Amino acid sequence: MTTGAGPTDHAAGKPAGRTNDGPPGRTAGGPAPASYGVGIGWRPEISGFVTGLPGLRFAEVVAESVHAHGDLPLGLTQLRERGVAVVPHGVKLSLGGAEPVDPARVTHLATVAQRLGAPMVSEHIAFVRAGGVEAGHLLPVPRSREAVDAVVANVRRTQAELDVPIALEPIAALFDWPGDELDEGAFLTEILERTDALLLLDVANVYANAVNRGTDPAALFDRVPLERIAYCHVAGGSAHDGVYHDTHTDAVPPEVLKLVAELCARHRPPALMLERDGDYPPAGELRAELDAIAAASGYPAVT
Amino acid sequence: MSSLGERQAALVAALTSGAPVPPGFDDRLVGIARVALLRKRAGEVARQWPGLAAAFGTRWLAEWSAWAASRPTQGSLRDGWDLARELAARDALPRAAGAELAAREATMRYDGRSAPRPRRLPAMGTAAGSVAVQAGGRVRILRRG
Repeated sequence: MTTGAGPTDHAAGKPAGRTNDGPPGRTAGGPAPASYGVGIGWRPEISGFVTGLPGLRFAEVVAESVHAHGDLPLGLTQLRERGVAVVPHGVKLSLGGAEPVDPARVTHLATVAQRLGAPMVSEHIAFVRAGGVEAGHLLPVPRSREAVDAVVANVRRTQAELDVPIALEPIAALFDWPGDELDEGAFLTEILERTDALLLLDVANVYANAVNRGTDPAALFDRVPLERIAYCHVAGGSAHDGVYHDTHTDAVPPEVLKLVAELCARHRPPALMLERDGDYPPAGELRAELDAIAAASGYPAVT
Repeated sequence: MSSLGERQAALVAALTSGAPVPPGFDDRLVGIARVALLRKRAGEVARQWPGLAAAFGTRWLAEWSAWAASRPTQGSLRDGWDLARELAARDALPRAAGAELAAREATMRYDGRSAPRPRRLPAMGTAAGSVAVQAGGRVRILRRG
């Protein structure tokens, strides 16, 4: 499906001159992700901060916040002109919904990816609406065969429209479904294998789920294909009501940074990015968080 | 056993509409998720409607949650608009929040059922003692409540 608002350059062959030190096991359908290092989620509120990061090569933008036509936000244009990879991150496709994904939403995601010349897109293994009602949040799908089939079908429908690979992100869930048939590792691995999708691993989600279930966070690293990680989210949260909430509006806790280091010791992902969605701290604190991710991963500082 | 779609719909209803938590789920954890969702929506609506949230100050989260607990989101612009109109209709909209609603009413047409659309013609909006006029897309507050 084509649109009138074509970009002036496309993802193929880009970004030039980048090293490629850990290609996930893709065979065809797009360039293997390059190694980008430390990145950050671009948001309008911190656009000036993000565009001012001298070493930045990787950023992400909420796909639904970018219009399919008209001017791109200035900050995104500046990042693209500098050769920073900008990945559209969908939050409303509802890949885990029982019903087929909305074709208009898929088209929008594909169009935004083209406009940004993005090397890939990403979305969640989650559902956000059912029975015509919006949940307003990412909700977990049951870890059942029926749900795996539904996710796989929706990922394939989405891939059919995309020119670039899709990376799938497991979410932080405050509760599990009754009667789950698969553990998280088996559930994720089966979805990735059947769709040939990449993995967007949110280290803070891994931490949150493990804390709330009372399990060992690093144990999941042994159960999912780490070589399929396209990039990682690193975010903050806070504990209340006896539960750890993955808020994206608090500082990244030391435990999450330790988990980043543990992951990178086993297999360093091509990119790790700070995901902050509100209550933005002063620039100095954001810089310190980016530097902490760099230190934990062994990538150069981008500040 | 019911279908995946039916089970997902029952869970969404429990989280957004005050429906009972479906059997088998941990009531306490689903309740925590429901409250977390209301808190997240409160922040999103406060960004779209800063005057409304500020007028309630520290009572904003409670005021919002009481209203939103049984109302699934229609997007934060419409959610805040619906709440502000409802408050205004029963003279409960804080006067400090009047100018914001009046300005929105003057600049966009909103039927309460579908996405608000920009007005093409000049219009006036009033709310809680505030009056706003819009012409050519520019809005002016004539009187603050």
